[in-house]
Amino acid sequence: MSVIPVLHSEWIKIRSVRASFGSLLAVFAATLAITLLVFATVGRAEAEDGGDPVFGAFYAINFAQIAAIAFGATAVSSEYAHGALRTSLSAVPHRGLFHTAKTAIVAAAALVVGLATGFATFFVGQAFLGPYAIGLGEPGALRACAGAGIYLALMALLAAGLTFLLRSAVAVLSLLIPFILIVSFVVGDVAGGAAAYFPDRAGQQILHQNPSGALGPWSGLAVTALWATAALLTGRLAVRRRDA
Amino acid sequence: MTSIDLVDLTKEYRGTRAVDGLTCGIGPGRVTGFLGPNGAGKSTTMRLVLGLDRPTSGTATVGGLPYAALRDPLREVGALLDAQAAHASRTARDHLRFLVVSNRLPARRVDEVLEETGLAAVARRRIGTFSLGMRQRLGIATALLGDPHVLLLDEPTNGLDPEGIVWVRTLVRRLAGEGRTVLVSSHLMNETAAFADHLVVLGRGRLLADVSTGDFIERYGRARVRVRTGDPVRLRAALLARGHTVAEDDDGRWAVDGATAEEIGAVAAREGVTVLELADDRGSLEQAYFALTTAEAEFAAATSPTAPQEA
Repeated sequence: MSVIPVLHSEWIKIRSVRASFGSLLAVFAATLAITLLVFATVGRAEAEDGGDPVFGAFYAINFAQIAAIAFGATAVSSEYAHGALRTSLSAVPHRGLFHTAKTAIVAAAALVVGLATGFATFFVGQAFLGPYAIGLGEPGALRACAGAGIYLALMALLAAGLTFLLRSAVAVLSLLIPFILIVSFVVGDVAGGAAAYFPDRAGQQILHQNPSGALGPWSGLAVTALWATAALLTGRLAVRRRDA
Repeated sequence: MTSIDLVDLTKEYRGTRAVDGLTCGIGPGRVTGFLGPNGAGKSTTMRLVLGLDRPTSGTATVGGLPYAALRDPLREVGALLDAQAAHASRTARDHLRFLVVSNRLPARRVDEVLEETGLAAVARRRIGTFSLGMRQRLGIATALLGDPHVLLLDEPTNGLDPEGIVWVRTLVRRLAGEGRTVLVSSHLMNETAAFADHLVVLGRGRLLADVSTGDFIERYGRARVRVRTGDPVRLRAALLARGHTVAEDDDGRWAVDGATAEEIGAVAAREGVTVLELADDRGSLEQAYFALTTAEAEFAAATSPTAPQEA
């Protein structure tokens, strides 16, 4: 079978299910809304207190990643609702191709929206900071804008990979979201060394001007990429092995 | 022409054999009825043909190729497996559109099949709002999308109104008439008799029969003669004297088992009894089917008392 038509077909699938297309748009929309809200109110006060000006600019990425995870999970779980997978596999019986095409479309969509989100949140936030505003020329700022987009795409892929394995967005969301909001946050400070390698912690190194700890900006992102790859490969094995 | 070939096809689920050494061919140009009680392995067989389930052993091929090796499979095979197999939040149109795109079918096919299945008016409604009958029609639209040589329809009349049932009957007859291979599963015997030229009957995953519908009824059906006469007492006495069994129906007719109209007509003529009605009754597919499956069940019980129960 040809690859391009299958990719196009996967894009139509994402567009035509509210949950997946809605959460893709939410990555951008929610992030921008929160940036506006936060920077218009407490932006200057926070900036006056000092701290990492680059990391501060990406506060709203905390929310963007939840939407990105929801997008990755629902884009895949729509196949496992209502037995839709049987129809999909009768059109594209080559399961490797099916998995690759869906993964590629999730990656591309999340990357495009993620990059737009990264740059938009940076510029919109800085617009409120007056004398404290930084530009793309600030060390680490451009890297963080691009890195935010890549990070969001990787989190979407991590969720997508897990959903191929667990076949349910609810299962994946109730695994990943508490992990990011609570486990990584709480255990992270306690466990020290190991927590730096959690997918969210490692990936967010790229949002810092001068990342501290064992992982640098790009090596941190590489660790997140390893998590996503591991999830996708396990999911791929499940797709190829299981009866539909 | 394309046919479906099953060779020693076997599928086990946790020790239960859903399909057990099934070998048969389903040929083009006729409607093959796929019969068997619930759990006989009909749906599993169809899933195995489509490569959705992996066989434990044996092969299922379409036109000599395993399904996964087909280039643009929707052009070769159209399937209705489960009318629910569509995401509820998509519109009917979007559901067909991603399928058309994936197999490089002409975009106009979407509107053509929506028109053909009577769904054009609801094309932009979400599938979740559809009635069972509308979903069934969408499933049939999906099967027809690629104008395929082979059609697998699992219980296509499920949930359809009488008009819809007649429509499906006409549709499958037409598709077979165009030289396509049409396999239609059902557990409704009289309905199947109305459109199937050929029958493949399964019981507990095994092949029980692979014959034409006419031969099947002849072989397993109970032939009898229905007769209505002006002098029931004399005719009855004459028939009993010749060793026939005679039973009276509710409506005043007599049914004579295992006889032909020629025999009974001859008896009546010799006796000089007036015959008001006389007709052969070949028996229904339903009767034939029960005769076969009852015999099979007894055989199975006698030979394998420890056989696992069908799930």
